[in-house]
Amino acid sequence: MRIRALSFFRRYHIPTFIIVLLLFGLVLMSLRVKQRQGVAFFDALFMELTSPVQKAATFVIKTIHGVFQHYVFLVHLEKENELLRRRIAEFQEENHQMKEMVMANDRLRKLLQFRENMPASTIAAQVIGQDPTSWFKSVTINKGEGDGVQKGMAVISPEGVVGQILKTSPHYATVLLMTDYNSAIDAIIQRTRAKAIVEGKEENRCQLKYLLRTEEVAVGDIVITSGLGGVFPKGLMVGEIRSVDKKSHGVFQYADLVPGVDLTKLEEVLILSAAPPPPPRLEEKEKKVKKISAGSSKKK
Amino acid sequence: MKRFFYPFLAGLLLLTFQATLLASLPVHRIRPDVVLILILFLGFSYPTVLGGLIAFSLGFLLDLFSGNALGLYTFTRPLIFFVAQLFRSHFYWKGFSFQFLFVFIFAILEGGLILLLVSGLNPVPFHNLYTSVLADLLFQSIVTGLFTPILFPLFEKGSIFLATQQRVAIKRQG
Repeated sequence: MRIRALSFFRRYHIPTFIIVLLLFGLVLMSLRVKQRQGVAFFDALFMELTSPVQKAATFVIKTIHGVFQHYVFLVHLEKENELLRRRIAEFQEENHQMKEMVMANDRLRKLLQFRENMPASTIAAQVIGQDPTSWFKSVTINKGEGDGVQKGMAVISPEGVVGQILKTSPHYATVLLMTDYNSAIDAIIQRTRAKAIVEGKEENRCQLKYLLRTEEVAVGDIVITSGLGGVFPKGLMVGEIRSVDKKSHGVFQYADLVPGVDLTKLEEVLILSAAPPPPPRLEEKEKKVKKISAGSSKKK
Repeated sequence: MKRFFYPFLAGLLLLTFQATLLASLPVHRIRPDVVLILILFLGFSYPTVLGGLIAFSLGFLLDLFSGNALGLYTFTRPLIFFVAQLFRSHFYWKGFSFQFLFVFIFAILEGGLILLLVSGLNPVPFHNLYTSVLADLLFQSIVTGLFTPILFPLFEKGSIFLATQQRVAIKRQG
């Protein structure tokens, strides 16, 4: 019996392996679907092991990009001017580095000012990689659980909303961008105060949904966070409306908007480590109203 | 061990390349899936168990670095590897047109499978998903297909180098 089982396994070991591996993939997928999160330990472990490679690659690419833009283009100048050319190249490189420093300084100062104005405490992070697939929109940042980053935290920049933390490891995290189709943000139109939901649509594009047809919306209107979702504080820039689709029927109208932040050129972000204060509950409001009315009746 | 480690390392480097340099291209839609090309190459040239494990590991890493919380690639990448293996003895895979068509078709098929899984596994249907994904799917698959004739010979050279080294090591031992 045992020999028979052994010979059966030998004969069918490859189909068995294929079935086991695919089943394992399906089990992992069902686990993730059930919990809506990764297999936390393995995710964190592999992220921790492989993110430094991504970080190093980003550094190398940035350096090469700088050299290509400011040095290699000078290669085809005449030979007589070689010395001058070298000096120009050196100066240009220096100039480029200084410009880069000034720009980085500006960006960081802006970030710092913005950070100081934020009611919640924030963690600054750098983007070290983007989503390797074209179907999903996310970035990898160089801060993780060890720095206080947790799943679900809001990610912003001085220009506005960026997204939410999707996965974390001790030193790295993945941010789901607001342009991903999985993303939904509670928002209001700044001018009319009309409520809507901003959902990701495509590369640097979002869609405004559940916006009542009766509400007045125009191209160029600014959309801000409502603060109702409990993730983003109220009043952060979400984007600007580019087109409005008011259908002839139905309860809602739709609008396309461009995010306030250019998510394709993201370099530094801020993570809101403390949740914004929740909107006051109805009961609390009622209590306040009762107190005020009781106080006024006493005075009378 | 080396036969697992080297292709896995190559896959990791390609994944990093895809997440950094290719992602920083000005046109974001033109982003070839170079990891898919590697997996399809392995489908033609690697044994089932070893190749399956590499495809599984690379799929897992792809899920880790993407905004996909469902773990789709951990399932689709080994599946694609096994399906590619079915064709290995039926086609001459060294011609440009076959390489392009083969990878193009597989990229489309994987896109379709992901679309099916995403819409099937999410409790709320995503209306935006179809417009964005379908608009990009064809374009993305063509670009991936066009990169194949460049990468397949490189992978082949790498695998020949690996095999030669192995033979030399065996000779030294024997």
